[in-house]
Amino acid sequence: MANKKLTLALFSGSVDKLTAAGVILGGAAAEDMDVEIYVLLQAAFAFKKENAMTNDRVAEITDKKDEFLASLKRLEAPHWTEAFKTAKEMTNVKIHICGFAGKVWNGFKLDDFIDLADDICGIGEYMTSAEEADINLFI
Amino acid sequence: MLTEELTNINVDKSIDARGTSCPGPLLAAKKAIGEIQEGQVMEVLSADEGTRRDIPKWCTKKGYEYLGTVEEAGYYKIFLRK
Repeated sequence: MANKKLTLALFSGSVDKLTAAGVILGGAAAEDMDVEIYVLLQAAFAFKKENAMTNDRVAEITDKKDEFLASLKRLEAPHWTEAFKTAKEMTNVKIHICGFAGKVWNGFKLDDFIDLADDICGIGEYMTSAEEADINLFI
Repeated sequence: MLTEELTNINVDKSIDARGTSCPGPLLAAKKAIGEIQEGQVMEVLSADEGTRRDIPKWCTKKGYEYLGTVEEAGYYKIFLRK
C-alpha cells in the first residue's frame, strides 16, 4: 500500500509555529507518511542560514515569549530544525523553498538556506502536490 | 492483557523515553521497532500522557499488537508485540 501523503504550506517564520510544525512532522514520520513542505514567505526568513538558529520570534502570546522559550528548554524540546531533521531521517520529507519567498529575504539560491532545504520551486508544484495529498495543512 | 501478565511478560527490547515529550516517545518506538523481530515484545517507558494514547493507535495503524499499559510512579510502561 502506498504511503499516505501530507503537504504543508509553511508560511510562519516564528519559532512557536515552527515548533508545532516539527511536532506534526514527528507524527507523520511515525506513520511513514510522505511529506512535502513548501516554505512560503516568512518561513523562508527562518530557513535562511544566518537566521535559523538565532531567530527567536514568536507569533502568538508574545507577552509570554520568555516563559515559552524557557519551557521549551526545560522540557528539552528539540529546536525546530532538529525536529525537521529527525523527520527527514525517518520518513520521506522534501522541503521546497518558494522562489518568490526566497527573493523577498535575499535568498536566491539553495545554498542561501539551511541544509534541510531540498530545492527552490514555484507554487504550481505545491498545487499539484496538495491535490494529491491525504492531509494538507497551512501553518 | 492484565497488569499482572504484563508485569511478568518477557520483554525483548525496552525503550526509555521518559526524558522526552511528544512526539519523542513515539519516534523512539518507531526507531526501535525496526530492531526487533516479528513476534517479539517491546516496552516503551514514557512519562508523557499523550503517548499513552498515541501508541495503541499507532499499533493499530502499523499492524502491531498493543498489549497494554502499566502505570508506574510518574510514568507508564507501554507494551506491544511486533
